[in-house]
Amino acid sequence: MDREGKGRKKTYITELTIVLAVIVAGAALQIVTGPFNSAIVRFPANAVFLLIFLVAAALPPNSVVARLGTLSLSVILISSFLILSLIMGLIPQSGIVNSWPFALTYLMLLTNLVLVAGRRARAFRLKDSGFMLNHAGLFILLFSAGFGSADSGKYFMTVYEGRVEWRGENIKTGQIDELPVAILLKNFDMEEYFPKSIIIDKRSGDAIPSYDWVIVSDSLVDNDNHAPAAYIRASNNKTGDKYEGWVSCGNYSQPFRVLDLTERICVAMAYPEPKSFSSEIEVKRERGSSKSGVVQVNHPLTVGSWKIYQYSYDMQKGRDSGYSVFQLVHDPWLIPAYIGIFMLFIGSVTLFWKGGKR
Amino acid sequence: MSWNEFIYFAAAALVLWFSGVVALYLFKKRYFSDLLISAGLIVFASFIVLLWIWLKHPPLRTMGETRLWYSFFLVIVGYLTYLRWRYKWLVAYSTLVSAVFILINLLKPEIHTANLMPALQSPWFVPHVTVYILAYAMMGAATIAALIALYGSSAESEKLINMIDNLVYIGLAFLMAGILMGALWAKAAWGDYWSWDIKETWALITVCAYLLYIHSRRGGYSRKITLWIIPIGFVLLMITWLGVSYLPAAQGSIHVY
Ligand code: HEM
Repeated sequence: MDREGKGRKKTYITELTIVLAVIVAGAALQIVTGPFNSAIVRFPANAVFLLIFLVAAALPPNSVVARLGTLSLSVILISSFLILSLIMGLIPQSGIVNSWPFALTYLMLLTNLVLVAGRRARAFRLKDSGFMLNHAGLFILLFSAGFGSADSGKYFMTVYEGRVEWRGENIKTGQIDELPVAILLKNFDMEEYFPKSIIIDKRSGDAIPSYDWVIVSDSLVDNDNHAPAAYIRASNNKTGDKYEGWVSCGNYSQPFRVLDLTERICVAMAYPEPKSFSSEIEVKRERGSSKSGVVQVNHPLTVGSWKIYQYSYDMQKGRDSGYSVFQLVHDPWLIPAYIGIFMLFIGSVTLFWKGGKR
Repeated sequence: MSWNEFIYFAAAALVLWFSGVVALYLFKKRYFSDLLISAGLIVFASFIVLLWIWLKHPPLRTMGETRLWYSFFLVIVGYLTYLRWRYKWLVAYSTLVSAVFILINLLKPEIHTANLMPALQSPWFVPHVTVYILAYAMMGAATIAALIALYGSSAESEKLINMIDNLVYIGLAFLMAGILMGALWAKAAWGDYWSWDIKETWALITVCAYLLYIHSRRGGYSRKITLWIIPIGFVLLMITWLGVSYLPAAQGSIHVY
């Protein structure tokens, strides 16, 4: 443990100084030029960075660059990353994600990681597989998620039933862009849970627990184009009072109805909650064939390098919504990111299997 | 077959599992515990299969149905980990947490009809939560061992250090699997595998803390300082798991329902 005592201490002080200097330089850059804009590493800049990383990893180990790949630097960089993430976790509005100090720390971490992996790859033995899967996998994932995301695009697109739309709202810039994909919405379909009947305080409108009243609902009405309604029988355990009548939560065209129990409380119906919603669409591309399918939450449709997600609908109309809102995501670095995730998965199996043995 | 029969299957499985745990501690031969725990798993699996046939779809749509899978996987993965690493207490722990989920399902049966919101209806939900529960167990044990090593004699610390490393490596494997599954789920549900959501950020912070432990153990730093990373990591893990919803920063998080 202590065999490397003094020498180790000296190197880690040098390295700590370097990392702190870079972070301070980042802060200065931030003050002068404003936040880090990831657009500056858009293709081809990110490809150039990748090339530099790979060349650096392949350089002979005794060069100056290799000093950026030491374990003591790794420890300091992981700590810096931890501290910056901690600030983000405590103060999300801190803007750390888009700051120069964070971007430069990320850059140093990637450099260190690629050099570490490169060094081990040069003298590769089979028992290093777990190490390589974890470190190379993390490099690939962090590169794709950091440098690669500059090339990605995210858009919202609202499409009315029976119509075709090709304009989307760019989520990063807020501008309306014309996209190389167009969507025809054939049908929007939604199922709702039948809403619960609740007792509410008439003045505040809040639901309140009431143990004295027994509420029985029957004759549920639940058709398209009608607000859900139920015939309610309410009886009071203590006083024996009984009331009955229709209750409905109402919708965009029909008023709500409540059943009064006392001056203060009444039975009302909650708004229906969505069970599932889906859109039947046909996607047309500028080039290439069109593709039909159904999208719903957790089940996007993939068309080339685009993924189309069910995002929203006309909340006021619920299941009678005449349009559907999609989120379109374009990420050319998605495949590498998945490869990185897959490598890390297998890497974590090796962590499990090998445990802490050296 | 329906939920009404659950109590019989659950009781049988629990009796088998708990006797398996007892056998684990009582007998030298693993034969008895293997038999009992496997029999419990078969009983529990039969219920899932029969329920599946009765429902005509995989039982994954309600909170109660998800708990059914936790109860099942916790025992399986806990037992597999035992087979690899011989940590008996982990089998006891998994069985206990599994029993808690079973008990909730028995005591609050109305949950079977309350449905999950669309974003939670994902095949990633169950494995994601299961590995986090197991990571929690490993890191909890590592924390206890680290505190004993920190406050005990140096001979004690020497004896414990290999086990501590082991627990952290295995725990980190579960944490990594959890965060990666979370990423794949997030991609399917809202288009981004990473969006710096508050819960994601805290999961990353936790992983970083344990990575720091692993790497500084190899870097020849003082053992005392290095060992302190483990309890600190555990506090961070607890914040990730339970505390995030209470942070003011959590307003608007996709993970707080
Ligand atoms: C998923 C994340 C990571 C995991 C699971 C991981 C795991 C490990 C393990 C198990 C070792 C010891 C391997 C062995 O000796 O065979 C190790 C060594 C090392 N790791 Fe990592 N690590 C991760 C991320 C990182 C990062 C982010 C860095 C740097 C920024 C890094 C830098 C290093 C270095 C420099 C070594 C020593 C390498 C050597 O001696 O050749 N690791 N890591």
